[in-house]
Amino acid sequence: MEIPTIADSAQPTLARGVRLQTDASTGNTVLLFPEGILELNESAQEILTRCDGRTVTEVIQALADEYDVDPTMLAADVRETLANLQRRKLIELT
Amino acid sequence: MTAPRPYALLAEITYRCPLHCPYCSNATQTRNDQELTTNEWVRVIREAAALGVLQIGFSGGEPLVRRDLPDLVRAAREANLYTNLITSGIPIEDGRVSALRDAGLDSVQLSFQSDKTDLADEIAGARAHQHKLEAAAKIRAAGIPLSLNFVIHRRNIDRLPELIELAESLQAERVELANVQFYGWAFLNRAALLPTREQVIRAREIAMAAQARLAGKIDIFYVLPDYYETRPKPCLAGWGQRYLTVNPIGDVLPCPTASSAIPDLRFENVRTRSLDWIWRESESFNRFRGTEWMPEPCQTCPQREIDFGGCRCQAALLTGNAANTDPVCELSPNRARVDAALRELNSLGDNALDWTYRVNPKVVTVNEPAVAARR
Repeated sequence: MEIPTIADSAQPTLARGVRLQTDASTGNTVLLFPEGILELNESAQEILTRCDGRTVTEVIQALADEYDVDPTMLAADVRETLANLQRRKLIELT
Repeated sequence: MTAPRPYALLAEITYRCPLHCPYCSNATQTRNDQELTTNEWVRVIREAAALGVLQIGFSGGEPLVRRDLPDLVRAAREANLYTNLITSGIPIEDGRVSALRDAGLDSVQLSFQSDKTDLADEIAGARAHQHKLEAAAKIRAAGIPLSLNFVIHRRNIDRLPELIELAESLQAERVELANVQFYGWAFLNRAALLPTREQVIRAREIAMAAQARLAGKIDIFYVLPDYYETRPKPCLAGWGQRYLTVNPIGDVLPCPTASSAIPDLRFENVRTRSLDWIWRESESFNRFRGTEWMPEPCQTCPQREIDFGGCRCQAALLTGNAANTDPVCELSPNRARVDAALRELNSLGDNALDWTYRVNPKVVTVNEPAVAARR
């Protein structure tokens, strides 16, 4: 499937009705939404916890700072994760 | 064997319903014990959360007929559960939606029978459609995420494009186009409800095209008509693995249709046992857990941990033995039974058969004097 392009200035946030929560049984972070539970892997969790009004560029930069790597190393992965979540209507881009 | 942790609880809080849809998956016969009280449900909700449950669906029957629904939603939110209301939208007087929102309701799944009032009301056996449109508007106005649920069958499958348009015009975030599955009343009405092969092929194309067109806007979930498949659905993601259901009288079921489909299975009740014990230890939850119970061809099948042998209820209803391979599977020695039903239906041409409307069971409600009527 085609990955939609995401603008650098887009601000990803959780879609209405989607909750980000710690699963008390495992300690992992999960997304809860109508009829669905998504257990987040570490990188998706790292990305989503930074989707608090920051732009895509800012999220990528924050992760690059955290792990002391070049932002271009992360950009494709972050975009792919966000595109997947957007396609499933779990995040909104404003 | 060791029980995994469950993820979701389906709380069927009442069998009462103002609609009479012939495709209802509720049992055609139910025990008329007293419905669980508010306090009993609150205890069940807390026990479920302690077991690891993350999501609760309030269903029925029609959950809105229970006046204490906001209290149950609040209890579920306090237990950190994601709360879904699965409803016909009736009765939804003014103030009801905001009370549910204020209680913390996360999401509403509103059922529709058609986009056209006359057909919708004919299917529901009640003047319901206009009220549902009003309910959708109220839910939207309250800012609660809205999913539209359509059960698809022979009489409405040709209106799939219009059903999707209705979801767009009501600004739903999510649409479930679920081909009818044959349990309870739907099994009784199978011949009237099963779509033709031609209808199914067209519907699938329409659903796929809509999925692509509305990607990122409306999440479209299409449930396949499993009689037309060659491999069974991975029912429940495995028996006793992720889901549990508590019915209106407190019986705990691995699957909501198990009580009617599998008569030789005895279910435990939350009035006499803890949910934790029932989930881990009960015979009903352990009977088909894992792969040891499986007969051939499942036992040596590379798909056994992908489809889990299909649906136990379907095996029971179509072969008389819940431990058989789901006869939808092309490898099942009983596949001929499904093919016979399909052949018979497809030979009917355009002559749709009559159906029997769902009637409400005689349930003893919490507000009425309890009649001791244990079977």
